[in-house]
Amino acid sequence: MKIRVLQHDPAVHLPQRPGDPTPTSRNLDPLMHPFARARERTRALNAAKMDRMFAKPFIASLEGHVDAVEVMAKQPGSLTTVASGSWDGGVIVHHLARRSQLLHAPQAHKGKVSGVCFSREGRLFSCGVDRNIKLWSLESSHTENPQPLTVFTGKSAFNSIDHHNSDPLFATASNLVQIWDETKSLPISNLTFPTSTETITSVRFNLSETSVLASIGSDRTFTLYDIRTGKAERRVVMQMSSNALAWSPTFPTTVLLASEDHNLYTFDIRHLTAPSQIYKGHVAAVMSCDWAPTGLEFVSGGWDRTVRIWTEGRGHSPEVYHTKRMQRVSSALFTSDARFVLSGSDDGNVRVWKAKAAERLGVVTARERAAIEYRDSLKDRWKMDAEVGRVARSRHIPKPVYQAAKLKRTMLEAQRVKGGAEEKAHAGGGKASQRRSGRSWSLQSRRTHSSVKMVVPPFGNLFAQGNRRYVSEDWK
Amino acid sequence: MDALIAKADALGPRQKKRKIFHDSTENSVKKRTAVPKSLQDKDLALNNSSEMQLKPPAQRPCWKMQTCYSLRTRASCRRRETLSGHGGVSQSEIVEGAGQDATRGRREWKLDGGPCRSRYTRNGRHLAIVGSMGHAATFDWLTGTLHAELQLQETCRDITFLHDHSHFAVAQKKYVFIYDRDGVELHCLKAHIEPTRLEFLPYHWLLASIGNAGYLKYQDTSTGQLLVEHRTKFGACSAMTQNLHNAVIHLGHQNGCVTLWTPNLPHPAVQLLAHLGPVASVSVDPSTGGRYMATAGRDSTVKVWDCRNWKGAVREWSARGGPAELEWSQRGALAVASGGTVNVYTSPTIQQPMHGSTQPPLYLTHPIPRRPLNSVRFAPFQDVLTVGHAEGLSSVLVPGVGEPNFDSAEADPFENRKARREKEVKALLDKIQPDMITLDPELIGSLASEPKLSTTTTFDGKPPRGAETPFARLPRLERLRVQGRADESEVVDPDDTAPDGRKLTKEEKERKKMRGKGKSLKRFLRKQRKNVIDPTAVAIRAKLEKQREERKAKAKEQAGGEPRKPSALDRFARG
Repeated sequence: MKIRVLQHDPAVHLPQRPGDPTPTSRNLDPLMHPFARARERTRALNAAKMDRMFAKPFIASLEGHVDAVEVMAKQPGSLTTVASGSWDGGVIVHHLARRSQLLHAPQAHKGKVSGVCFSREGRLFSCGVDRNIKLWSLESSHTENPQPLTVFTGKSAFNSIDHHNSDPLFATASNLVQIWDETKSLPISNLTFPTSTETITSVRFNLSETSVLASIGSDRTFTLYDIRTGKAERRVVMQMSSNALAWSPTFPTTVLLASEDHNLYTFDIRHLTAPSQIYKGHVAAVMSCDWAPTGLEFVSGGWDRTVRIWTEGRGHSPEVYHTKRMQRVSSALFTSDARFVLSGSDDGNVRVWKAKAAERLGVVTARERAAIEYRDSLKDRWKMDAEVGRVARSRHIPKPVYQAAKLKRTMLEAQRVKGGAEEKAHAGGGKASQRRSGRSWSLQSRRTHSSVKMVVPPFGNLFAQGNRRYVSEDWK
Repeated sequence: MDALIAKADALGPRQKKRKIFHDSTENSVKKRTAVPKSLQDKDLALNNSSEMQLKPPAQRPCWKMQTCYSLRTRASCRRRETLSGHGGVSQSEIVEGAGQDATRGRREWKLDGGPCRSRYTRNGRHLAIVGSMGHAATFDWLTGTLHAELQLQETCRDITFLHDHSHFAVAQKKYVFIYDRDGVELHCLKAHIEPTRLEFLPYHWLLASIGNAGYLKYQDTSTGQLLVEHRTKFGACSAMTQNLHNAVIHLGHQNGCVTLWTPNLPHPAVQLLAHLGPVASVSVDPSTGGRYMATAGRDSTVKVWDCRNWKGAVREWSARGGPAELEWSQRGALAVASGGTVNVYTSPTIQQPMHGSTQPPLYLTHPIPRRPLNSVRFAPFQDVLTVGHAEGLSSVLVPGVGEPNFDSAEADPFENRKARREKEVKALLDKIQPDMITLDPELIGSLASEPKLSTTTTFDGKPPRGAETPFARLPRLERLRVQGRADESEVVDPDDTAPDGRKLTKEEKERKKMRGKGKSLKRFLRKQRKNVIDPTAVAIRAKLEKQREERKAKAKEQAGGEPRKPSALDRFARG
């Protein structure tokens, strides 16, 4: 009689030769895995905690400027070259990987350097409030006092400069937008919106529709120009002025505005009647913004001394970076590999941060990579769990920022309640509610003449503005 | 027919010599085809049954169905046995029939140290044994490597491995002691006094013990702290087991109660009166996710319970020879060791509800004439049953009760040292917090149910149909309403009516309101409103009504009984 009794052949379960991996066997019967869900939750909690434990985003501080860093620009096509300009008139080109300086021009301009950009050939343009645009070559770097290749002279102080994506053209912003040819000493055209007499604070070329140009001005406008027609095409008037703008690298119609009202706005330029997303998180004016090359994230630096990294389309809870020593962040930049973030602040340092706070730098083995991916998916899967979500969401932020956020919430809520009451009170009279449009945020498109109203309260008084130097006087 | 099914009292003399029926033709055909009538079992042919004629014709169909059913089940049971080929076969036959390698499972250990208890590690590789006189040993039973052997020289009541074979805990005369693999005493857990049974919850890293004092104590072996101690209030306890799938501890008590415990409840989660007399042994079925529990009592009955529905046992029968020791295997076979026999029953029939105390069909039986048999353990991932008795241990081959496919991530019998260490670290990282032990293991990660408690009530005072608020949690007024004791009478404010009896509008009322003239009686009534009808309130209301009438009459008298002509100045009049 043959009776089958369970027996395991050790040869199957032990390594064939010494050094071979031990064979593993799997049984996917759920009864063989008791507490699978509870254990997975524990793992997710541990993953979230580890993520916060290893979140040490600060990498390095690049020194060299005497005064506050005003502008930064990355060289297209290079992962490591970044130029920065300062209030003391100095321009430095940093090599990020070596943390060295490729060019150091301490007295590039008199007064602040208000804009830097790279040409396609890797030369550097800088403009300043001394009405000069200077062209620098990175080859002449090692001299003690490098001299510019060319100096372009303008009629008024420049506020911003940007280079055309393919042609040897660049645009500057002063009280009007000017287009310059690299080979000509005078601007080849002046662009201005017919009724606008205010200062233009920033100008940027679209990255794919290369002849489209956008500018923001101190008259609270965001204006689109076409350099082929040489005319301003559209204009949006916001309730508060914008401080910076950036075109999305992957969505050519999307533009990001960093506004004075603590928010960032993305607009689809095909539908300028309303912003496609509002990003709320800063507790003071947003001073600068820059897209990651993937177009899925962007970074913003604010007057509240924080750098925030946002996911495109998610208007809340950004990643927050801050240090004790970092002051007002006047320029923020994503590097071209989307792994690092740069911030230039009032304390004169350019800081390098990791874009993913808990990311491990250096070589990551395949097993580590698998573990990281597993942890990420666990965190994502269990983010609705109260404890896991709390650990993953919570951020330590400086007390002043926290208090300001709290105050802002209170004020917004009060305003909402009050505004709601007023709406009710004025429900009958259309005239009355229209008269209050000074309180509401309106967008006006030149073509459509439609207006969108949203209540966005002015928060200029939250943070002291005593030493806020960038504000031009003319619109106040 | 019954001769084919083994009887429980295997020690008794056999009436007839068993004849194992072998028909190669039938066996070859049976698997894939309908068996020809000539080869069919005689019992299945209902026409042959002489009993058919005994029933009145009205009862026939029902009876026929029953017979069919019982015959089919019996036949299926028997076929199962005959297919696996060991209806009442002896161990020597099984050993002979199995290969050489499997014979390692059939052993007899002669130990002098009193009745033995044993415990396997979760991967089934290592075995710990302890005799009641204090002889404890752990060893790798597949290779026969001895890890530690201790002569503790005091009463030892139980032994258990901790997370793996590198540590084990022994319930000794006064305290629980923890030893490492080499038998070095690591800890003396003085909080566990006079322990009788130990259980280790592997995913929570908890060592649970119950003792003669009746305190259930949980010790966290990863942090070392005594997590919680529950006073069971049932006195000494000597039956304990854990449900592998939800880490609930089952205790069997002297008064016949079985209680289910979790660390976060100070009282049992479930308490049921299982036996008349003390409970001797409890075991939970791991093959169905902890759905069934078996208990054995001193009243020499064995009962199988459905853990989803505690109303009465699913099945019960009496075991011969006194209290039984129970254990479920991974594949759902139940071993019952009582008297001098170990009986093994297989899965579907033990859990089928059955009236009366008929024993389920036996799968295997094995006599061990060395009483008492005080522990039965199935080896995980093996077809081996280890029985501890007065003179040592004997392990028996029971074909088809072990899980054949192990999962290396959970428990691997062939893991090496590195894998064991890695698993230890991973298990520590994945340790589940003890307060997450609940009766329902699927609770974690499931959606929160809608809160049943709501104070929303409908007009008729009954809670809305969707939200069943318990009566005790209703607001007071709602409770009064439900009871019919609420004061539902409309409160008539004398100020609401004009002198001519018509009801005043809101504006009129507002105009005529006497500001600041709250009368104490009215204030009292206002406060008493929405409340119980009590004699005081009724009396006050009557008194107020009377006063109002008086006032009215007085006013009428003053007016001279003659209605005044309405004047334009009436609109300024008050009262």
